[in-house]
Amino acid sequence: MTLLFFKIVNLELRKQMSYRVDFWVNTVVSFFAAMGVMYFLWDAIFTASETEIIGGYSQKEMILYYVLVILIAKLVRGSNQMTGIAGDIYTGELTKYHLFPTPYLTFKYAEHLGSLLPALIQLVLFGALSPFIFAFPDSLNITPLSIITCANVVLLANLLFFTLTLPLQLVAFWADNVWSLVVMNHFISGLLGGAMLPLELFPDWARTVLNFTPFAYLYHFPVRILTGHIQAEQIWIGVGVMICWIIILSAGSWFIWRKGNKLYTGVGI
Amino acid sequence: MIHVKNLRKEFTVHRKPPGIIASMKALFIRDTITKVAVQEVSFHVAEGEILGLIGANGAGKTTIVKMLSGIIHPTSGSVDVMGYNPWQRQKNFCRQIALIMGQKAQLWWDLPAADCFLLLREIYQVDPKKHQEMLEFLLSILDVRDEINIQIRRLSLGERMKMELIAALLHKPKVVYLDEPTIGLDLAAQRAIRNFILGYRDSVKPAMILTSHYMEDIERLCKRVVILLNGKFVFDGALQDVVQQFSAHKIISVKLHKPVDLTRLNPEIELIEDHGDELKFRVMAEDVAHVSQHLLAKIPGANLAVGEMNTADVIEELFQEKA
Repeated sequence: MTLLFFKIVNLELRKQMSYRVDFWVNTVVSFFAAMGVMYFLWDAIFTASETEIIGGYSQKEMILYYVLVILIAKLVRGSNQMTGIAGDIYTGELTKYHLFPTPYLTFKYAEHLGSLLPALIQLVLFGALSPFIFAFPDSLNITPLSIITCANVVLLANLLFFTLTLPLQLVAFWADNVWSLVVMNHFISGLLGGAMLPLELFPDWARTVLNFTPFAYLYHFPVRILTGHIQAEQIWIGVGVMICWIIILSAGSWFIWRKGNKLYTGVGI
Repeated sequence: MIHVKNLRKEFTVHRKPPGIIASMKALFIRDTITKVAVQEVSFHVAEGEILGLIGANGAGKTTIVKMLSGIIHPTSGSVDVMGYNPWQRQKNFCRQIALIMGQKAQLWWDLPAADCFLLLREIYQVDPKKHQEMLEFLLSILDVRDEINIQIRRLSLGERMKMELIAALLHKPKVVYLDEPTIGLDLAAQRAIRNFILGYRDSVKPAMILTSHYMEDIERLCKRVVILLNGKFVFDGALQDVVQQFSAHKIISVKLHKPVDLTRLNPEIELIEDHGDELKFRVMAEDVAHVSQHLLAKIPGANLAVGEMNTADVIEELFQEKA
Protein backbone atom coordinates (compact mmCIF):
# COMPACT_ATOMS: atom_id res chain seq x y z
CA MET A 1 0.00 0.00 0.00
CA THR A 2 2.82 2.40 0.86
CA LEU A 3 4.56 1.55 -2.40
CA LEU A 4 1.34 2.18 -4.31
CA PHE A 5 0.92 5.52 -2.55
CA PHE A 6 4.35 6.65 -3.73
CA LYS A 7 3.70 5.28 -7.23
CA ILE A 8 0.60 7.47 -7.44
CA VAL A 9 2.60 10.47 -6.20
CA ASN A 10 5.18 9.65 -8.86
CA LEU A 11 2.50 9.30 -11.56
CA GLU A 12 1.05 12.70 -10.69
CA LEU A 13 4.54 14.23 -10.80
CA ARG A 14 4.91 12.94 -14.35
CA LYS A 15 1.46 14.19 -15.29
CA GLN A 16 2.45 17.65 -14.04
CA MET A 17 5.44 17.59 -16.37
CA SER A 18 3.46 16.41 -19.41
CA TYR A 19 2.68 19.94 -20.54
CA ARG A 20 5.79 22.11 -20.63
CA VAL A 21 4.15 25.49 -21.19
CA ASP A 22 1.60 25.02 -18.45
CA PHE A 23 4.30 23.68 -16.14
CA TRP A 24 6.52 26.74 -16.51
CA VAL A 25 3.63 29.20 -16.42
CA ASN A 26 2.41 27.52 -13.25
CA THR A 27 5.91 27.49 -11.78
CA VAL A 28 7.38 30.83 -12.79
CA VAL A 29 4.80 33.27 -14.11
CA SER A 30 2.26 32.70 -11.33
CA PHE A 31 4.85 33.72 -8.71
CA PHE A 32 5.72 36.98 -10.45
CA ALA A 33 2.04 37.78 -11.02
CA ALA A 34 1.11 37.28 -7.36
CA MET A 35 4.27 38.90 -5.97
CA GLY A 36 4.03 41.86 -8.37
CA VAL A 37 0.53 42.73 -7.13
CA MET A 38 1.56 42.52 -3.47
CA TYR A 39 4.82 44.45 -3.94
CA PHE A 40 3.24 47.45 -5.65
CA LEU A 41 0.19 47.43 -3.37
CA TRP A 42 2.23 47.53 -0.15
CA ASP A 43 4.72 49.99 -1.60
CA ALA A 44 1.80 52.34 -2.28
CA ILE A 45 0.32 51.75 1.20
CA PHE A 46 3.61 52.42 3.03
CA THR A 47 4.27 55.53 0.90
CA ALA A 48 0.75 56.92 1.37
CA SER A 49 0.60 56.20 5.11
CA GLU A 50 4.02 57.77 5.72
CA THR A 51 4.68 55.23 8.47
CA GLU A 52 7.51 52.74 8.69
CA ILE A 53 5.66 50.05 10.59
CA ILE A 54 2.20 48.61 9.84
CA GLY A 55 0.86 45.89 12.10
CA GLY A 56 4.38 45.29 13.42
CA TYR A 57 5.85 44.85 9.93
CA SER A 58 8.35 47.13 8.24
CA GLN A 59 8.06 47.34 4.43
CA LYS A 60 10.97 44.90 4.04
CA GLU A 61 9.40 42.46 6.52
CA MET A 62 6.09 42.76 4.69
CA ILE A 63 7.75 41.89 1.36
CA LEU A 64 9.51 38.91 2.99
CA TYR A 65 6.17 37.77 4.44
CA TYR A 66 4.52 37.81 1.02
CA VAL A 67 7.40 36.03 -0.72
CA LEU A 68 7.18 33.26 1.87
CA VAL A 69 3.40 33.08 2.05
CA ILE A 70 3.07 32.84 -1.76
CA LEU A 71 5.63 30.03 -1.91
CA ILE A 72 4.21 28.17 1.10
CA ALA A 73 0.56 28.65 0.13
CA LYS A 74 1.20 26.81 -3.09
CA LEU A 75 2.72 23.92 -1.17
CA VAL A 76 -0.30 23.84 1.10
CA ARG A 77 -2.92 24.04 -1.65
CA GLY A 78 -1.33 21.95 -4.39
CA SER A 79 -2.18 22.84 -7.95
CA ASN A 80 -5.24 20.83 -8.86
CA GLN A 81 -7.34 20.70 -5.74
CA MET A 82 -9.95 23.25 -6.70
CA THR A 83 -12.45 20.74 -8.05
CA GLY A 84 -10.55 17.46 -8.48
CA ILE A 85 -12.84 15.24 -6.41
CA ALA A 86 -16.02 17.19 -7.20
CA GLY A 87 -15.07 16.94 -10.86
CA ASP A 88 -14.71 13.16 -10.60
CA ILE A 89 -18.22 12.94 -9.14
CA TYR A 90 -19.71 15.36 -11.67
CA THR A 91 -18.17 13.78 -14.76
CA GLY A 92 -18.47 10.17 -13.62
CA GLU A 93 -14.68 9.74 -13.50
CA LEU A 94 -15.20 8.34 -9.98
CA THR A 95 -16.45 5.15 -11.64
CA LYS A 96 -12.90 4.27 -12.62
CA TYR A 97 -11.65 4.59 -9.05
CA HIS A 98 -14.59 2.62 -7.66
CA LEU A 99 -13.37 -0.37 -9.63
CA PHE A 100 -9.91 -0.28 -8.05
CA PRO A 101 -9.14 -2.23 -4.87
CA THR A 102 -7.71 0.98 -3.42
CA PRO A 103 -9.45 3.59 -1.21
CA TYR A 104 -10.41 6.50 -3.47
CA LEU A 105 -9.60 9.25 -0.98
CA THR A 106 -6.13 7.85 -0.33
CA PHE A 107 -5.60 7.77 -4.08
CA LYS A 108 -6.65 11.40 -4.40
CA TYR A 109 -4.45 12.54 -1.52
CA ALA A 110 -1.47 10.86 -3.17
CA GLU A 111 -2.36 12.71 -6.39
CA HIS A 112 -2.64 15.90 -4.37
CA LEU A 113 0.89 15.41 -3.03
CA GLY A 114 2.17 14.66 -6.53
CA SER A 115 0.69 17.91 -7.78
CA LEU A 116 3.07 19.82 -5.50
CA LEU A 117 5.98 19.52 -7.90
CA PRO A 118 5.61 22.99 -9.50
CA ALA A 119 5.27 24.46 -5.99
CA LEU A 120 8.46 22.70 -4.86
CA ILE A 121 10.43 23.95 -7.85
CA GLN A 122 9.00 27.42 -7.30
CA LEU A 123 10.10 27.25 -3.67
CA VAL A 124 13.67 26.25 -4.51
CA LEU A 125 13.97 28.67 -7.44
CA PHE A 126 12.49 31.77 -5.85
CA GLY A 127 13.69 30.91 -2.39
CA ALA A 128 17.21 31.24 -3.82
CA LEU A 129 16.55 34.20 -6.14
CA SER A 130 14.26 36.37 -4.02
CA PRO A 131 17.02 37.84 -1.77
CA PHE A 132 18.60 39.22 -4.94
CA ILE A 133 15.32 40.53 -6.39
CA PHE A 134 13.62 42.01 -3.32
CA ALA A 135 14.91 44.01 -0.37
CA PHE A 136 14.63 41.77 2.70
CA PRO A 137 15.24 42.79 6.35
CA ASP A 138 18.93 42.99 7.28
CA SER A 139 18.63 40.41 10.05
CA LEU A 140 16.71 37.22 9.34
CA ASN A 141 15.80 34.67 12.01
CA ILE A 142 15.56 31.79 9.55
CA THR A 143 17.57 28.92 11.04
CA PRO A 144 17.98 25.22 10.11
CA LEU A 145 15.67 24.36 13.03
CA SER A 146 12.99 26.83 11.90
CA ILE A 147 13.24 25.44 8.34
CA ILE A 148 12.79 21.83 9.52
CA THR A 149 9.93 22.77 11.85
CA CYS A 150 8.26 24.79 9.09
CA ALA A 151 8.63 21.91 6.59
CA ASN A 152 6.83 19.55 8.97
CA VAL A 153 4.09 22.06 9.71
CA VAL A 154 3.64 22.68 5.96
CA LEU A 155 3.07 18.94 5.44
CA LEU A 156 0.45 19.00 8.17
CA ALA A 157 -1.08 22.19 6.72
CA ASN A 158 -1.25 20.47 3.34
CA LEU A 159 -3.26 17.62 4.87
CA LEU A 160 -5.39 20.14 6.78
CA PHE A 161 -6.21 22.03 3.56
CA PHE A 162 -7.06 18.74 1.82
CA THR A 163 -9.44 17.72 4.62
CA LEU A 164 -10.91 21.24 4.73
CA THR A 165 -11.74 21.19 1.02
CA LEU A 166 -12.88 17.57 0.99
CA PRO A 167 -16.37 17.91 2.56
CA LEU A 168 -17.14 20.81 0.23
CA GLN A 169 -16.11 18.81 -2.81
CA LEU A 170 -18.20 15.85 -1.66
CA VAL A 171 -21.29 18.07 -1.73
CA ALA A 172 -21.11 17.36 -5.49
CA PHE A 173 -22.95 14.10 -4.77
CA TRP A 174 -26.04 16.26 -4.11
CA ALA A 175 -25.36 19.55 -5.89
CA ASP A 176 -23.40 18.35 -8.96
CA ASN A 177 -21.54 21.63 -9.41
CA VAL A 178 -19.72 22.94 -6.34
CA TRP A 179 -17.33 25.31 -8.08
CA SER A 180 -18.61 28.38 -6.22
CA LEU A 181 -18.37 26.61 -2.84
CA VAL A 182 -14.78 25.61 -3.47
CA VAL A 183 -13.80 29.05 -4.78
CA MET A 184 -15.44 30.63 -1.72
CA ASN A 185 -13.43 28.31 0.53
CA HIS A 186 -10.28 29.24 -1.40
CA PHE A 187 -10.82 32.95 -0.76
CA ILE A 188 -12.07 32.67 2.82
CA SER A 189 -9.20 30.37 3.80
CA GLY A 190 -6.79 32.73 2.00
CA LEU A 191 -8.14 35.76 3.84
CA LEU A 192 -8.49 34.19 7.29
CA GLY A 193 -5.35 32.09 6.90
CA GLY A 194 -3.00 34.99 6.24
CA ALA A 195 -2.38 34.47 2.53
CA MET A 196 -3.90 37.85 1.65
CA LEU A 197 -3.03 39.80 4.79
CA PRO A 198 -0.78 39.01 7.75
CA LEU A 199 -3.05 38.07 10.66
CA GLU A 200 -1.37 40.75 12.81
CA LEU A 201 -3.44 43.29 10.84
CA PHE A 202 -6.68 41.77 12.21
CA PRO A 203 -8.12 43.07 15.54
CA ASP A 204 -7.04 41.15 18.66
CA TRP A 205 -10.48 39.60 19.23
CA ALA A 206 -10.55 38.31 15.65
CA ARG A 207 -7.10 36.76 16.03
CA THR A 208 -8.19 35.06 19.24
CA VAL A 209 -11.17 33.55 17.44
CA LEU A 210 -9.07 32.59 14.40
CA ASN A 211 -6.67 30.64 16.61
CA PHE A 212 -9.48 28.15 17.23
CA THR A 213 -10.24 27.72 13.51
CA PRO A 214 -8.21 25.67 11.01
CA PHE A 215 -7.58 28.74 8.82
CA ALA A 216 -4.90 30.41 10.95
CA TYR A 217 -2.67 27.35 10.63
CA LEU A 218 -2.72 27.06 6.86
CA TYR A 219 -0.39 29.86 5.75
CA HIS A 220 0.35 32.38 8.49
CA PHE A 221 1.44 29.81 11.06
CA PRO A 222 4.13 28.09 8.94
CA VAL A 223 5.48 31.42 7.66
CA ARG A 224 5.81 32.86 11.16
CA ILE A 225 7.48 29.62 12.33
CA LEU A 226 10.00 29.93 9.49
CA THR A 227 10.82 33.53 10.36
CA GLY A 228 11.28 32.57 14.02
CA HIS A 229 8.33 34.52 15.41
CA ILE A 230 6.57 31.64 17.16
CA GLN A 231 7.86 30.00 20.31
CA ALA A 232 8.14 26.23 20.75
CA GLU A 233 5.19 26.03 23.17
CA GLN A 234 2.91 27.89 20.75
CA ILE A 235 4.07 25.62 17.95
CA TRP A 236 2.99 22.52 19.88
CA ILE A 237 -0.39 24.08 20.68
CA GLY A 238 -0.83 25.02 17.02
CA VAL A 239 0.07 21.53 15.85
CA GLY A 240 -2.41 20.10 18.36
CA VAL A 241 -5.19 22.34 17.00
CA MET A 242 -4.28 21.30 13.45
CA ILE A 243 -4.45 17.59 14.30
CA CYS A 244 -7.81 18.06 16.03
CA TRP A 245 -9.23 19.78 12.93
CA ILE A 246 -7.82 17.10 10.62
CA ILE A 247 -9.55 14.41 12.70
CA ILE A 248 -12.86 16.34 12.85
CA LEU A 249 -12.86 17.16 9.12
CA SER A 250 -11.81 13.63 8.12
CA ALA A 251 -14.59 12.09 10.20
CA GLY A 252 -17.12 14.50 8.69
CA SER A 253 -15.86 13.77 5.18
CA TRP A 254 -16.10 10.03 5.77
CA PHE A 255 -19.70 10.39 6.86
CA ILE A 256 -20.57 12.54 3.79
CA TRP A 257 -18.67 10.14 1.51
CA ARG A 258 -20.68 7.15 2.71
CA LYS A 259 -24.00 8.97 2.38
CA GLY A 260 -23.10 10.49 -0.99
CA ASN A 261 -21.90 7.26 -2.52
CA LYS A 262 -25.40 5.82 -2.26
CA LEU A 263 -26.59 8.61 -4.55
CA TYR A 264 -23.80 8.24 -7.10
CA THR A 265 -25.14 7.39 -10.54
CA GLY A 266 -21.91 7.10 -12.54
CA VAL A 267 -22.97 9.48 -15.30
CA GLY A 268 -21.16 9.39 -18.61
CA ILE A 269 -21.50 5.71 -19.47
CA MET B 1 -20.53 -17.03 -10.71
CA ILE B 2 -23.04 -14.20 -11.07
CA HIS B 3 -26.51 -14.51 -9.56
CA VAL B 4 -28.99 -11.66 -9.92
CA LYS B 5 -32.41 -11.81 -8.28
CA ASN B 6 -35.22 -9.27 -8.57
CA LEU B 7 -32.81 -6.41 -9.17
CA ARG B 8 -34.44 -2.99 -9.29
CA LYS B 9 -33.05 0.50 -9.66
CA GLU B 10 -34.90 3.79 -9.43
CA PHE B 11 -33.38 7.20 -10.12
CA THR B 12 -34.76 10.53 -9.01
CA VAL B 13 -34.16 13.04 -11.77
CA HIS B 14 -34.92 16.75 -12.11
CA ARG B 15 -37.25 17.74 -14.88
CA LYS B 16 -36.83 21.21 -16.34
CA PRO B 17 -38.89 22.46 -19.26
CA PRO B 18 -37.05 24.62 -21.82
CA GLY B 19 -36.92 28.41 -21.66
CA ILE B 20 -35.60 31.16 -19.43
CA ILE B 21 -38.71 31.34 -17.22
CA ALA B 22 -38.52 27.64 -16.48
CA SER B 23 -34.80 28.03 -15.69
CA MET B 24 -35.54 30.88 -13.25
CA LYS B 25 -38.37 28.89 -11.66
CA ALA B 26 -36.02 25.93 -11.25
CA LEU B 27 -33.77 28.08 -9.06
CA PHE B 28 -36.52 28.00 -6.42
CA ILE B 29 -38.71 24.99 -7.12
CA ARG B 30 -37.62 21.83 -8.87
CA ASP B 31 -39.82 19.17 -10.33
CA THR B 32 -38.48 15.70 -9.75
CA ILE B 33 -39.62 12.44 -11.17
CA THR B 34 -38.73 8.91 -10.22
CA LYS B 35 -37.51 6.94 -13.18
CA VAL B 36 -37.43 3.16 -12.97
CA ALA B 37 -34.33 2.09 -14.89
CA VAL B 38 -34.39 -1.62 -14.03
CA GLN B 39 -37.42 -3.60 -12.88
CA GLU B 40 -37.07 -6.91 -11.06
CA VAL B 41 -34.48 -8.47 -13.34
CA SER B 42 -33.14 -11.94 -12.55
CA PHE B 43 -30.52 -14.05 -14.32
CA HIS B 44 -27.29 -15.90 -13.72
CA VAL B 45 -23.98 -16.29 -15.57
CA ALA B 46 -21.74 -19.32 -15.29
CA GLU B 47 -17.95 -19.59 -15.39
CA GLY B 48 -16.64 -19.39 -18.97
CA GLU B 49 -19.96 -18.08 -20.28
CA ILE B 50 -20.51 -14.84 -22.21
CA LEU B 51 -24.01 -13.52 -21.62
CA GLY B 52 -25.34 -10.92 -24.05
CA LEU B 53 -27.42 -8.20 -22.44
CA ILE B 54 -29.44 -6.55 -25.18
CA GLY B 55 -31.96 -3.76 -25.31
CA ALA B 56 -32.59 -0.42 -26.95
CA ASN B 57 -31.09 2.81 -25.56
CA GLY B 58 -32.38 3.38 -22.03
CA ALA B 59 -33.37 -0.25 -21.55
CA GLY B 60 -31.24 -0.50 -18.40
CA LYS B 61 -28.28 -2.56 -19.65
CA THR B 62 -25.56 -0.23 -18.42
CA THR B 63 -27.38 0.36 -15.14
CA ILE B 64 -27.31 -3.39 -14.51
CA VAL B 65 -23.60 -3.55 -15.32
CA LYS B 66 -22.95 -0.63 -12.96
CA MET B 67 -24.78 -2.42 -10.14
CA LEU B 68 -22.98 -5.71 -10.78
CA SER B 69 -19.60 -3.98 -10.66
CA GLY B 70 -20.43 -2.12 -7.43
CA ILE B 71 -20.44 1.38 -8.90
CA ILE B 72 -24.02 2.15 -7.93
CA HIS B 73 -26.37 0.80 -5.28
CA PRO B 74 -29.58 -0.96 -6.31
CA THR B 75 -32.94 0.14 -4.93
CA SER B 76 -33.85 -3.47 -4.15
CA GLY B 77 -33.00 -7.04 -5.07
CA SER B 78 -29.89 -9.08 -4.53
CA VAL B 79 -26.69 -9.73 -6.42
CA ASP B 80 -24.04 -12.32 -5.71
CA VAL B 81 -20.83 -12.13 -7.72
CA MET B 82 -18.33 -14.87 -6.76
CA GLY B 83 -19.88 -14.82 -3.27
CA TYR B 84 -19.47 -11.05 -2.85
CA ASN B 85 -21.99 -8.29 -2.57
CA PRO B 86 -20.62 -5.88 -5.23
CA TRP B 87 -21.53 -2.56 -3.60
CA GLN B 88 -19.58 -3.42 -0.48
CA ARG B 89 -16.56 -3.10 -2.80
CA GLN B 90 -14.33 -5.44 -0.85
CA LYS B 91 -10.72 -5.49 -2.01
CA ASN B 92 -10.81 -9.15 -3.03
CA PHE B 93 -13.92 -8.53 -5.11
CA CYS B 94 -12.38 -5.52 -6.90
CA ARG B 95 -9.22 -7.53 -7.63
CA GLN B 96 -11.26 -10.14 -9.52
CA ILE B 97 -13.48 -8.01 -11.73
CA ALA B 98 -13.04 -5.72 -14.72
CA LEU B 99 -15.35 -3.30 -16.47
CA ILE B 100 -14.55 -2.20 -19.99
CA MET B 101 -16.52 0.80 -21.16
CA GLY B 102 -16.42 1.60 -24.85
CA GLN B 103 -17.76 5.07 -24.25
CA LYS B 104 -15.50 6.14 -21.43
CA ALA B 105 -11.72 6.18 -21.14
CA GLN B 106 -10.47 4.65 -17.93
CA LEU B 107 -6.76 5.09 -18.47
CA TRP B 108 -4.96 8.27 -17.53
CA TRP B 109 -5.34 10.59 -20.51
CA ASP B 110 -2.00 12.37 -20.13
CA LEU B 111 0.21 9.33 -19.64
CA PRO B 112 1.55 6.68 -22.01
CA ALA B 113 -0.09 3.27 -21.70
CA ALA B 114 3.16 1.80 -20.33
CA ASP B 115 2.98 4.08 -17.26
CA CYS B 116 -0.70 3.29 -16.77
CA PHE B 117 0.01 -0.46 -16.86
CA LEU B 118 2.74 -0.13 -14.25
CA LEU B 119 0.42 1.74 -11.93
CA LEU B 120 -2.29 -0.87 -12.45
CA ARG B 121 0.23 -3.55 -11.52
CA GLU B 122 0.61 -1.85 -8.13
CA ILE B 123 -3.10 -1.19 -7.73
CA TYR B 124 -3.99 -4.84 -8.31
CA GLN B 125 -0.84 -6.12 -6.53
CA VAL B 126 0.15 -8.34 -9.45
CA ASP B 127 3.48 -10.18 -9.29
CA PRO B 128 5.88 -8.26 -11.63
CA LYS B 129 6.89 -11.40 -13.54
CA LYS B 130 3.30 -12.53 -14.12
CA HIS B 131 2.35 -8.98 -15.03
CA GLN B 132 5.07 -8.81 -17.65
CA GLU B 133 4.11 -12.18 -19.13
CA MET B 134 0.46 -11.21 -19.37
CA LEU B 135 1.34 -7.80 -20.82
CA GLU B 136 3.53 -9.37 -23.51
CA PHE B 137 0.75 -11.82 -24.35
CA LEU B 138 -1.93 -9.13 -24.63
CA LEU B 139 0.29 -6.71 -26.58
CA SER B 140 1.14 -9.33 -29.16
CA ILE B 141 -2.46 -10.52 -29.58
CA LEU B 142 -3.82 -6.99 -30.00
CA ASP B 143 -0.78 -5.81 -31.99
CA VAL B 144 -0.22 -2.49 -30.18
CA ARG B 145 3.35 -2.97 -28.96
CA ASP B 146 4.58 0.07 -30.89
CA GLU B 147 2.00 2.37 -29.31
CA ILE B 148 2.72 1.54 -25.69
CA ASN B 149 4.88 4.62 -25.10
CA ILE B 150 2.49 7.11 -26.68
CA GLN B 151 0.21 9.31 -24.55
CA ILE B 152 -3.27 7.78 -24.37
CA ARG B 153 -4.95 10.93 -25.68
CA ARG B 154 -2.84 10.78 -28.84
CA LEU B 155 -3.93 7.23 -29.78
CA SER B 156 -6.65 6.48 -32.31
CA LEU B 157 -9.97 5.24 -30.97
CA GLY B 158 -9.17 1.66 -31.97
CA GLU B 159 -5.72 1.75 -30.38
CA ARG B 160 -7.11 3.33 -27.23
CA MET B 161 -9.80 0.68 -26.96
CA LYS B 162 -7.17 -2.04 -27.27
CA MET B 163 -5.15 -0.39 -24.49
CA GLU B 164 -8.30 -0.22 -22.37
CA LEU B 165 -8.82 -3.95 -22.90
CA ILE B 166 -5.24 -4.71 -21.91
CA ALA B 167 -5.51 -2.50 -18.82
CA ALA B 168 -8.73 -4.19 -17.75
CA LEU B 169 -7.45 -7.73 -18.20
CA LEU B 170 -3.86 -7.47 -16.92
CA HIS B 171 -4.90 -8.76 -13.50
CA LYS B 172 -6.72 -11.74 -15.08
CA PRO B 173 -10.20 -10.95 -13.73
CA LYS B 174 -12.63 -13.81 -13.18
CA VAL B 175 -15.62 -11.62 -13.97
CA VAL B 176 -15.56 -9.23 -16.94
CA TYR B 177 -18.23 -6.71 -17.88
CA LEU B 178 -17.98 -5.41 -21.43
CA ASP B 179 -20.13 -2.35 -22.03
CA GLU B 180 -20.23 -1.69 -25.79
CA PRO B 181 -16.56 -2.57 -26.31
CA THR B 182 -16.63 -2.10 -30.09
CA ILE B 183 -18.60 1.13 -30.30
CA GLY B 184 -17.26 3.53 -32.90
CA LEU B 185 -14.58 1.12 -34.16
CA ASP B 186 -13.97 0.20 -37.79
CA LEU B 187 -14.79 -3.33 -38.96
CA ALA B 188 -11.22 -4.63 -38.70
CA ALA B 189 -10.85 -3.35 -35.14
CA GLN B 190 -14.26 -4.77 -34.19
CA ARG B 191 -13.23 -8.15 -35.54
CA ALA B 192 -9.87 -8.04 -33.72
CA ILE B 193 -11.55 -7.22 -30.43
CA ARG B 194 -14.19 -9.94 -30.85
CA ASN B 195 -11.49 -12.53 -31.57
CA PHE B 196 -9.52 -11.31 -28.59
CA ILE B 197 -12.52 -11.60 -26.26
CA LEU B 198 -13.15 -15.17 -27.44
CA GLY B 199 -9.49 -16.04 -26.97
CA TYR B 200 -9.50 -14.57 -23.46
CA ARG B 201 -12.69 -16.49 -22.61
CA ASP B 202 -11.12 -19.75 -23.79
CA SER B 203 -7.88 -19.27 -21.87
CA VAL B 204 -9.06 -17.73 -18.56
CA LYS B 205 -12.71 -18.96 -18.43
CA PRO B 206 -14.21 -15.88 -16.78
CA ALA B 207 -17.92 -15.13 -16.49
CA MET B 208 -18.57 -12.31 -18.95
CA ILE B 209 -21.48 -9.99 -19.58
CA LEU B 210 -21.55 -8.12 -22.88
CA THR B 211 -23.78 -5.22 -23.82
CA SER B 212 -23.71 -4.02 -27.40
CA HIS B 213 -25.87 -2.42 -30.05
CA TYR B 214 -23.98 -4.31 -32.73
CA MET B 215 -25.78 -7.59 -33.35
CA GLU B 216 -22.63 -9.02 -34.86
CA ASP B 217 -20.94 -8.70 -31.45
CA ILE B 218 -23.80 -10.60 -29.86
CA GLU B 219 -24.03 -13.25 -32.60
CA ARG B 220 -20.27 -13.89 -32.63
CA LEU B 221 -19.70 -13.88 -28.87
CA CYS B 222 -22.86 -14.94 -27.04
CA LYS B 223 -24.71 -18.20 -27.05
CA ARG B 224 -27.18 -16.91 -24.48
CA VAL B 225 -28.89 -13.54 -24.26
CA VAL B 226 -31.06 -11.59 -21.86
CA ILE B 227 -33.37 -9.07 -23.54
CA LEU B 228 -34.53 -5.97 -21.71
CA LEU B 229 -37.28 -3.60 -22.77
CA ASN B 230 -37.66 -0.35 -20.84
CA GLY B 231 -35.92 -1.88 -17.84
CA LYS B 232 -38.08 -5.00 -17.85
CA PHE B 233 -36.81 -8.49 -18.38
CA VAL B 234 -38.48 -10.12 -21.42
CA PHE B 235 -36.28 -13.04 -22.46
CA ASP B 236 -33.47 -15.22 -21.15
CA GLY B 237 -32.31 -18.05 -23.36
CA ALA B 238 -30.36 -19.21 -26.38
CA LEU B 239 -29.87 -16.64 -29.12
CA GLN B 240 -31.47 -18.87 -31.77
CA ASP B 241 -34.63 -19.18 -29.64
CA VAL B 242 -35.25 -15.44 -29.90
CA VAL B 243 -36.58 -15.85 -33.46
CA GLN B 244 -39.00 -18.64 -32.52
CA GLN B 245 -40.30 -16.77 -29.49
CA PHE B 246 -40.68 -13.28 -30.88
CA SER B 247 -41.01 -13.41 -34.64
CA ALA B 248 -44.54 -13.47 -35.95
CA HIS B 249 -43.15 -13.19 -39.45
CA LYS B 250 -41.58 -15.47 -42.05
CA ILE B 251 -39.47 -14.58 -45.05
CA ILE B 252 -40.51 -15.81 -48.51
CA SER B 253 -37.64 -15.73 -51.03
CA VAL B 254 -38.56 -15.84 -54.71
CA LYS B 255 -35.87 -16.69 -57.31
CA LEU B 256 -36.77 -15.21 -60.72
CA HIS B 257 -35.89 -16.60 -64.15
CA LYS B 258 -36.95 -13.40 -65.90
CA PRO B 259 -37.90 -9.85 -64.79
CA VAL B 260 -41.35 -9.45 -63.29
CA ASP B 261 -43.80 -6.55 -63.19
CA LEU B 262 -44.19 -5.90 -59.46
CA THR B 263 -47.41 -3.90 -59.95
CA ARG B 264 -49.15 -7.21 -60.64
CA LEU B 265 -48.56 -8.29 -57.07
CA ASN B 266 -50.89 -7.56 -54.15
CA PRO B 267 -49.53 -4.26 -52.72
CA GLU B 268 -50.29 -5.43 -49.18
CA ILE B 269 -47.50 -7.99 -49.37
CA GLU B 270 -44.39 -6.36 -47.89
CA LEU B 271 -41.41 -6.51 -50.23
CA ILE B 272 -38.29 -6.06 -48.11
CA GLU B 273 -35.49 -6.80 -50.61
CA ASP B 274 -35.28 -6.61 -54.42
CA HIS B 275 -32.01 -7.98 -55.90
CA GLY B 276 -33.32 -8.18 -59.47
CA ASP B 277 -33.11 -11.95 -59.73
CA GLU B 278 -34.39 -12.51 -56.21
CA LEU B 279 -37.20 -10.92 -54.19
CA LYS B 280 -37.78 -11.22 -50.44
CA PHE B 281 -41.15 -10.72 -48.81
CA ARG B 282 -41.98 -10.49 -45.12
CA VAL B 283 -45.31 -12.10 -44.24
CA MET B 284 -47.18 -13.06 -41.12
CA ALA B 285 -46.65 -16.75 -40.31
CA GLU B 286 -50.36 -17.57 -40.72
CA ASP B 287 -50.42 -15.91 -44.18
CA VAL B 288 -47.53 -17.91 -45.65
CA ALA B 289 -49.74 -20.43 -47.51
CA HIS B 290 -52.05 -18.03 -49.32
CA VAL B 291 -49.28 -15.48 -50.06
CA SER B 292 -47.23 -18.31 -51.58
CA GLN B 293 -50.18 -19.30 -53.78
CA HIS B 294 -50.62 -15.68 -54.85
CA LEU B 295 -46.93 -15.32 -55.74
CA LEU B 296 -46.86 -18.58 -57.70
CA ALA B 297 -49.95 -17.48 -59.61
CA LYS B 298 -48.56 -14.04 -60.47
CA ILE B 299 -44.97 -15.14 -61.15
CA PRO B 300 -45.14 -18.37 -63.15
CA GLY B 301 -42.07 -20.58 -62.90
CA ALA B 302 -40.77 -18.79 -59.79
CA ASN B 303 -38.78 -20.78 -57.24
CA LEU B 304 -40.11 -20.13 -53.69
CA ALA B 305 -38.46 -20.79 -50.34
CA VAL B 306 -39.85 -20.01 -46.88
CA GLY B 307 -37.41 -19.14 -44.12
CA GLU B 308 -37.03 -17.49 -40.70
CA MET B 309 -36.17 -13.85 -40.17
CA ASN B 310 -32.63 -13.27 -38.95
CA THR B 311 -32.09 -12.67 -35.25
CA ALA B 312 -30.97 -9.08 -35.64
CA ASP B 313 -34.15 -8.17 -37.53
CA VAL B 314 -36.35 -9.90 -34.98
CA ILE B 315 -34.72 -8.04 -32.11
CA GLU B 316 -34.96 -4.74 -33.96
CA GLU B 317 -38.61 -5.43 -34.69
CA LEU B 318 -39.19 -6.25 -31.06
CA PHE B 319 -37.60 -2.97 -29.89
CA GLN B 320 -39.65 -0.96 -32.40
CA GLU B 321 -42.91 -2.61 -31.41
CA LYS B 322 -42.36 -1.96 -27.72
CA ALA B 323 -40.89 1.54 -28.10
